Amino acid sequence: MIELLSRINNSISALTRVHRLLPWLLAYLVLLPLPKFLEFSISDYYIDLANRACLFILLCVGLNIVKGFCGQVTVGHIGLYAIGAVSSALLSLNYGMSFWVSAPLAMLITGFAGIIVGLPSVRLEGAYLALATLGLGESVRIMIAVTPALGSSTGIMLIPAPVIGDFVFDSFERYYYLVMTVALLGIYLSFAILRSATGRAFQAIREDPIAASVVGINVNMYKLLAFVISALYAGLGGALFAHMPPGYIHHNNFTIIEMITLLLMVVLGGIGNIWGGVIGAIVVTVIYDQTKDYYFYQPLIFGISMVLLVVFMPRGIGGLIERMIVKKKFIKKHEDKEIGIA
Amino acid sequence: MFKTSKICLGAVALSFMFVSTVVYAGEIRIGITMRMVSENGQKYGRMMMDEIDIINKAGGINGNKIVATLMNDECKSDKGVANANKLISQKKIHLLIGSTCSSVSLPIVAVTAKAKVPQIIPHSTNAKITKLGSAWVFRVPVSGRFYAGVNAKYVGENIGKRIAYICAADAASQNDCNAMQVQMRSQHDVEPAYVAQVQEKEVDFRTHMHKIKSNNVDGIMIAALAETMARALIQSYEAGMDESVRRIGSSSASNAPVPKIAGDAVKNVFFAAAYAAADKRPIARLFNEMVRERYGIHAPDHDFSQAYDLIRIVEIALNNANLKLDGYSLADDRVAIRNAIAGIRNYQGLASGPISFCRDPSPVCRDGNRTAVLIGYTKGGEQFETEVLARVTMPMDFGL
Repeated sequence: MIELLSRINNSISALTRVHRLLPWLLAYLVLLPLPKFLEFSISDYYIDLANRACLFILLCVGLNIVKGFCGQVTVGHIGLYAIGAVSSALLSLNYGMSFWVSAPLAMLITGFAGIIVGLPSVRLEGAYLALATLGLGESVRIMIAVTPALGSSTGIMLIPAPVIGDFVFDSFERYYYLVMTVALLGIYLSFAILRSATGRAFQAIREDPIAASVVGINVNMYKLLAFVISALYAGLGGALFAHMPPGYIHHNNFTIIEMITLLLMVVLGGIGNIWGGVIGAIVVTVIYDQTKDYYFYQPLIFGISMVLLVVFMPRGIGGLIERMIVKKKFIKKHEDKEIGIA
Repeated sequence: MFKTSKICLGAVALSFMFVSTVVYAGEIRIGITMRMVSENGQKYGRMMMDEIDIINKAGGINGNKIVATLMNDECKSDKGVANANKLISQKKIHLLIGSTCSSVSLPIVAVTAKAKVPQIIPHSTNAKITKLGSAWVFRVPVSGRFYAGVNAKYVGENIGKRIAYICAADAASQNDCNAMQVQMRSQHDVEPAYVAQVQEKEVDFRTHMHKIKSNNVDGIMIAALAETMARALIQSYEAGMDESVRRIGSSSASNAPVPKIAGDAVKNVFFAAAYAAADKRPIARLFNEMVRERYGIHAPDHDFSQAYDLIRIVEIALNNANLKLDGYSLADDRVAIRNAIAGIRNYQGLASGPISFCRDPSPVCRDGNRTAVLIGYTKGGEQFETEVLARVTMPMDFGL
């Protein structure tokens, strides 16, 4: 297993040396026929599952920017997701906007909301920030629940599916091409941010905000920026969720339980590890789906696994794999050195 | 060696995936998605499965076995839609039962219509469900549009016209609350004396109750889920409003936690429902006894009776449908089941009135029960008691 992961890692590095976009293009080409494979080998239900996993990947990658890169404890991400979903749905239904206009506008609205959610981070840290963001996130859900114009109790229905020319993204398979492309772009952009000066500033703030400010990083501005970028991801995720067939959203889709599930994905995958977020989103989505028959024990299983993960595997699956690969490289280097000496 | 074992493992995994989706002929596959997060939800879900077991043990449907899959949607639309997709695409069901919550049933209507799978709803009352015009959906419970008409008629004629409203944010309560106000306007030409929008799980109603008291109203309609309603009822007495101000419950007033939690505060509360445990008919007495013995429920509410009636209706429809069940006939069998349900006329079960369906995909044909029974609580607590105040059948096109 470690051998295989190491080989994949080496192959990706080799492809990156040819062109930095090459591994991404290859990944895209590999993922394109997945719906056909799932439809013929298992069931087209799994395409729907893949769509949901892609949505969660986008959300986890976005959450990782503020939580993993910048070290800010936020529990209000699901509120931003709700804002993105409701904004895009209402823009489409009330103003007849196409998804390609309503989704970017929803992202802008969510980005603005991200500033509001991020403002407490200027003054608060740790558990206090968590409480403040939790309150903001939950208040968004409550506002949707009691405002008829935002769907209130009945929800917003008949949200149109995205269209390009005559091609309507109105089936699991068709929607997969959209949501998978966006998820892959989201992951790529997340890596780009991590590698940039902004990403390094985020990490510096995560490690030590005082030291970061001493070297000239505007800590408050970068904290807010992390919240805004994360919110843009959530806004796009929300818009994709709203327009996904059957085109229905309800305030019950954005409760604290969904937020905890999202946190579980990030923690399981590994906080601060982009691939970890991706792995966490896939693993939790699939496990949740496969344990549906044991609904009585499901919350208990998820709760206990989160506690165990934090205690025994704080860096998650992503961290574990990363450590194994580094260890493998170290052993190989050591062996090469010994052979060289001999 | 290592490579061979890896290939073998892969083959086993793939074959396992195939086996899990193999479809056997001679089985009638039914998927059920419901809110299984409350104690009662689990019990009436269990009751449906038990009733299906009983049918199977008695020889099944024309010799064919019913294979039912029960799933929990937690009253969340995304989970309900995922369940429906899974049941339709993977389990290849012939019929979908669900959901409990209107906010889940609503999006599922689009899923079943697209996949051409008959869907029969056990509990959701939101009028919009059948107004979507799907040819594949049928509703066993009384639609919210009928409840409002019955309540408004009784209130206007027997209680008074100055009515205050406390409306919780859940779909069913909002629907009940709004529909009642519309009906009071259209039947009696009166505006609400007071309206308060509250949270789904609100805990403090005192401010509203004091304001309502100062408004000198004839009655308060409390439209909320069971626990919330019980709290509001208790607090209405704490605010100093006596029994002369009648308390009107929304459809969830029939749920057992209301009298259990509210205790004496539930006395004189009345509500419209699809079943009264105080029903004197032998069928109702037998049903009450069965539910008490099997599930430990003192007096079953209409959620239990509707779940039971639904299984009986499904049984009749499946017996009447000309099913091939040969592995290639899934689409034809689904159509046959839909048509058989549409052919149900005057089913007389536990419900407050006869249940009939027809072919036209309109609420007139798909809202099966249009008779509501008005029930009043005469005693609260664990051993609560009720009485039947009236039974009202509404015109088929009422509220459209």
